Amino acid sequence: MKYLIAEDEKELQQSIATYLSHDANVCETASDYHEASEKLELYEYDVVVLDINLITGSGLDLLKKLKKQHKKCGIIIISANNSLDDKLQGLDLGADDYITKPFHLAELNSRIKAVLRRGQFGGEDTITFQEIRLDTLARSAYVDDKPITLTRKEYDLLLFFITNQGRVLSKAIIAEHLWGDDSDLLDNFDFIYVHINNLRKKLTKEGAKYIQTAYGSGYKFIAD
Amino acid sequence: MISIILLVVSAVALYLYTGSLLENEIEEELYSNKDRVEQLLIKDNDLKGIPPIMMVEKVGRSEREIIKDTLLYDPMQDEIELFRQLSGTKTIDGQNYRVTVRAMVIESEDILFAIVFIFVTIIFLAFIFLFYINKSRNEKLWKPFFVNLDKLKDFSLKSGKPLQLNESDIVEFDDLNREMLSLTTKVQADYRNLKQFTEDVSHEMQTPLAIMQAKIETIINDQHISDNQFEHLSSLQSDIQRLKQLNKRLILLAKINNNQFTDNKTVSINEVFEHAISNFHELTSVQIKSKGSSTINITMDRSLASVLCNNLLSNAVKHNIANNPITVFFEENRVRVTNSGTKALNNPDHIFDRFYKESKKPDSTGLGLSIVKKICDYYGFVPSYRYEKNNHVFQVDFVS
Repeated sequence: MKYLIAEDEKELQQSIATYLSHDANVCETASDYHEASEKLELYEYDVVVLDINLITGSGLDLLKKLKKQHKKCGIIIISANNSLDDKLQGLDLGADDYITKPFHLAELNSRIKAVLRRGQFGGEDTITFQEIRLDTLARSAYVDDKPITLTRKEYDLLLFFITNQGRVLSKAIIAEHLWGDDSDLLDNFDFIYVHINNLRKKLTKEGAKYIQTAYGSGYKFIAD
Repeated sequence: MISIILLVVSAVALYLYTGSLLENEIEEELYSNKDRVEQLLIKDNDLKGIPPIMMVEKVGRSEREIIKDTLLYDPMQDEIELFRQLSGTKTIDGQNYRVTVRAMVIESEDILFAIVFIFVTIIFLAFIFLFYINKSRNEKLWKPFFVNLDKLKDFSLKSGKPLQLNESDIVEFDDLNREMLSLTTKVQADYRNLKQFTEDVSHEMQTPLAIMQAKIETIINDQHISDNQFEHLSSLQSDIQRLKQLNKRLILLAKINNNQFTDNKTVSINEVFEHAISNFHELTSVQIKSKGSSTINITMDRSLASVLCNNLLSNAVKHNIANNPITVFFEENRVRVTNSGTKALNNPDHIFDRFYKESKKPDSTGLGLSIVKKICDYYGFVPSYRYEKNNHVFQVDFVS
């Protein structure tokens, strides 16, 4: 997949690019409005990560331009402003998702994957990882083609793990993905432990080994 | 006051002056009358006079001329009147005649009364006249002042509308207007800046936070670190999350302050609470019960309603002890959230204050309840706190 990261903060831009290029994706970057505009004219991208506040212009203007040209690419807006108006405006203009700073890179990655999955950008409705298969439309999981019953949170957890496979996920990242802003209500992260344990059990002996402990308190989903 | 003293003094002076003038006049008249009587007496020795005004008596020896006051009974008026009398003797052909002439004196009380009456009338008329003249003139003069005063009273910092004062012909008032205008403009600008400041700072902080968070993830993925270092980085992630929450709440407060919530609809408070309670089931092992069958429907912004319920519940969950159940009571236009506690708050008056923390819980932003208060203030609800039977009770009355 080919991504464009249009973000004027170099540090953030590089971190995003590094994180996203792990899955053999090509990540190009643009640091201001003109650079982004130029690159969008010249090349085709599967997903554009667009900061609303680019130094020399508004990301929303770029978005309008893109939509006018009927480019077939997924657009995820990132913004420092989490007001609902901005969000609605972005989505109305045709963005596929909206994420507010600060965000976890794993979260951004899973949003990008979700956008790609929604079909028209070359994604598929099913995700396969070894013997595990997820049907993202029906939100159901299969191990060796046998359906397994997962709770909503367990399904979300598994999907999050698979989309961020090979990455270290701390409990804070997982908690925020599963519960969003409510995650600060958690007294501790024991709940995540419970969910992960249940998931491990349901994935059977074979699948359980994919969920590995990293650095004592984090997790990593990896095929051996 | 001074004018009253002057009036009294002039009344006294007038009284004395009029009195002496009248006395002189009467005496002159008496002398001339006496002379006339004497002339007549010379011509006619038998003249008897007109008692009691003129009297002629024969007397043995000549007497000195005397002028004095005397009281005589006047049968015509049937009362005792004061007369001024002049008596003297006149020798005509060796015979002494005593000639007495009298004139009725205007009584001094009458004069006094007349003067006082006239003065009082004048004062009264002058007072009324001056009062109305003054009143109408003052009204005209002060009208621009009072019009502007009313405008000043209606002036609200929050509305953001500039103060518009009427101009007048009076230099001092225009000076005052100018000063008021520059003062309110400055205060308004400061207020706006202050409001904007919180929001701007919160927004500006998001990007550095995002960079920090992204770098932490880069480190834990791209470099080999020790378990201990990972612990530290994980806890940094939680701290960033806390800052993010703080920002979010500050922005929410700023937005309520800026009246940015106008999407008011009828919201079922019961429903919002039930929804929040079901969310909490996933996040805490504390049991949350709802009691009471009253349905509460309030016209307000739905997102604010859910913030209100969430904050009340999360406050209860955070400060609950020993996993005792939390109870939400629905009553007529009132909702109560109770959680168990060990003792009443030390400063219940400050519990809704911004950044006031009663407990030392590290993960509390100190904004949850102040947001509750803000939302309540925004819609005119009344939040209150009390401690009863080992329970902290937070109550919101939806009708003030």
